[in-house]
Amino acid sequence: MDYALSEEQAALVAAVQGIVRDHGAPPSDARQSFAYFDASLQAALQGGGFLDAARVLGALEAALVVMEAATAPGAAELGASALVAPHLFPSAAPNGPFALIDAAALGKAHRHLPIAKTALITDGGDVLVLDLNGVRIDPVDSVYAYVYGRFAERIDLRALPRIPDAAPLLRQWHRVALAAEMAGAAAQAVAFTVEYVKTRHVFAKPVGAFQAVQHRLVQCHQAALAMRYLTLKAAWAGDAYHAALAACFAQQKASKIVFDLHQFNGAMGITNAHLLHFWTYRLRALQAEAGGVYASAHTVANALWGGAGP
Amino acid sequence: MEFGWSQAQENYRERIRAALRELLPADWHETYTPQSYASDAQIEFSRKFCPQLAERGLLVRHWPKEWGGEGGDDWEQFILAEEMKVAGEPRGPQYMNVNWIGPTLMRFATPEQREKYLPGIARGTTIWCQGFSEPGAGTDLAALRTKAERIGDRYRINGSKIWTSYARKADMCFLLARTGAGRKEITVLLVPMATMGVSVTSNPGLCKDGHLNEVFFTDVDVAIDARLGEEGQGWAIVTHALSFERTGVPRYHVGIEVLGLAIAQLKAEGRADDPIVRARAGMIAAQFEAARALTYLVVDQRVKRAPENTDANVARITALDAVVELMNFLVEFTPDCLAGGDAQLEEYYRINVPAGVTAGTYELQLDLIAQRGLGLPRG
Ligand SMILES: Cc1cc2nc3c(=O)[nH]c(=O)nc-3n(C[C@H](O)[C@H](O)[C@H](O)COP(=O)(O)OP(=O)(O)OC[C@H]3O[C@@H](n4cnc5c(N)ncnc54)[C@H](O)[C@@H]3O)c2cc1C
Repeated sequence: MDYALSEEQAALVAAVQGIVRDHGAPPSDARQSFAYFDASLQAALQGGGFLDAARVLGALEAALVVMEAATAPGAAELGASALVAPHLFPSAAPNGPFALIDAAALGKAHRHLPIAKTALITDGGDVLVLDLNGVRIDPVDSVYAYVYGRFAERIDLRALPRIPDAAPLLRQWHRVALAAEMAGAAAQAVAFTVEYVKTRHVFAKPVGAFQAVQHRLVQCHQAALAMRYLTLKAAWAGDAYHAALAACFAQQKASKIVFDLHQFNGAMGITNAHLLHFWTYRLRALQAEAGGVYASAHTVANALWGGAGP
Repeated sequence: MEFGWSQAQENYRERIRAALRELLPADWHETYTPQSYASDAQIEFSRKFCPQLAERGLLVRHWPKEWGGEGGDDWEQFILAEEMKVAGEPRGPQYMNVNWIGPTLMRFATPEQREKYLPGIARGTTIWCQGFSEPGAGTDLAALRTKAERIGDRYRINGSKIWTSYARKADMCFLLARTGAGRKEITVLLVPMATMGVSVTSNPGLCKDGHLNEVFFTDVDVAIDARLGEEGQGWAIVTHALSFERTGVPRYHVGIEVLGLAIAQLKAEGRADDPIVRARAGMIAAQFEAARALTYLVVDQRVKRAPENTDANVARITALDAVVELMNFLVEFTPDCLAGGDAQLEEYYRINVPAGVTAGTYELQLDLIAQRGLGLPRG
């Protein structure tokens, strides 16, 4: 048991932090937007090989990359590239960024679809691979802080290359990926709010001096910290149980974090220009992915106590 | 970063489990655990059990060799705590002796005091109680009023302590008393419970028997060598002592076990396939695992002697949240456990009723994290 980062891991984290710092100030038009896809952040992470960390170093390192990169105000496609694709395609992966899609919801809006190069479509127990080159996508407006899009043409699933029985593996790493993004976004949203409540004064005191604020803010910090370590453990363990634990915890805590942090930022927190929503509405976006909290809870229950019945 | 146990740690855990299999009587879970670790029955049992644990080198393994330990690290102490807690804490109150009373004596006691008290703890034969709280001093401990008046080379103690777990059966009291008017003019006295003028009464309550005692000190006369450290050093000693308890009890381990017991009951009743039951249980398990992950973070920091921070407080409230959810699960899905049903589930529920109050309340933890961890201004 060793919770400290190795030298190599610390260097990796520091490098990603450096990139995030360089992308810390969104351009003025992006500041007013709901979702800001930071193409430059995506290019820096991809070009620097950071999203290949799972192949070169390991899944734990990939989770560290995703977590750190998720603290940036701009969104990039992190988790699917860094954690899902390397496990689905151990040797040659199709081109990222990826959109993760459930065939049953094919006609709905999908996260990252407008910027993705490949869609991985879960179809029953299998995964289908769709090269998005030339596929027409309509952007979809959303308050979720990622770019969303919908297919503007019919997709014939039968014609797509199929990876048999790969859906459980995809779901497992999708859970680790979303938990890692949630951990990063939650930590950043808490840090952002802690700073805000130190500076904003009401009744001649900083907002953060009131115990009613302090206690709930601590609970948000607590959730973010626990998300971090459950996620890292899930990446390290590499099994469906730990992945489900991480997702289940992150997804059950999202609602509280989003509500409380917006409360403490007052009306300012609901304006786009304040930036808080970039992190909180990423939490919201991920709350229902990979089956959502109840599906991950069922995976946990099945692993601990077996199938139902006497 | 590494989240697995070493082979040596696995072996150590297996050694403890083997000792438990060997030493606990066949009716342990039926007869003893439902009464809880503070009950008279379990305290008496601990007087037999702890010496046997000590013989196997498993009672104070984390202590220095000089005092009967093997210099084991914090992980070993923690693995022991996990296994004992999940077994129903057969050490009774003696977990407290080995975790913080002994180590505090090593640090502050005179050589004579160490000779007098440490062997009894290391052999597992002495029961201690902790005399801190008073009717008018709980969270605000420095408001305590029990007075120790210096008369020549003796102290005369008058006052009362409350919620003194194990007091009815204890041999010794680790007592905090006021030796001056200043808020922190407090001194630690090591008082034999058999001293004339010490009396104990007990009250019934929601948590299982053994905790809700009141201890009265009426003109209790002890020699000056009952004092630990200097006069007025009590506050510093207690702060140091409590730092050993920073991580708290490993609640996640037993929490997941109890969740499993409840699921087993629901399976037997044909109700375990209810998707709501399974979803709630899975969510609670995730909360306990979150507490485990944070607790291990804290133990790791301690092993590495990292500077103190508030992660331990965070780990504690995370465990408390999970406990509260589990108590609620029991009431929602196995409500008979509080009305003549499964005694182990009842014990779990009742022993945890005060979990947010003991050893630093939930709110106090939140305050500490807010101010020391997040750097928020005092209100
Ligand atoms: C089962 C059990 C076993 C115990 N065993 C022992 C023992 O062996 N020895 C011993 O000395 N004591 C023992 N205690 C006592 C325990 O340490 C105290 O109960 C605890 O310190 C809280 O004190 P209190 O009960 O007086 O609550 P109070 O201090 O009266 O607090 C009441 C409420 O007010 C809140 N509060 C207090 N201050 C603040 C603040 N500044 N901001 C916000 N909220 C605040 C508290 O969090 C709590 O919710 C035991 C208690 C229990 C329940």
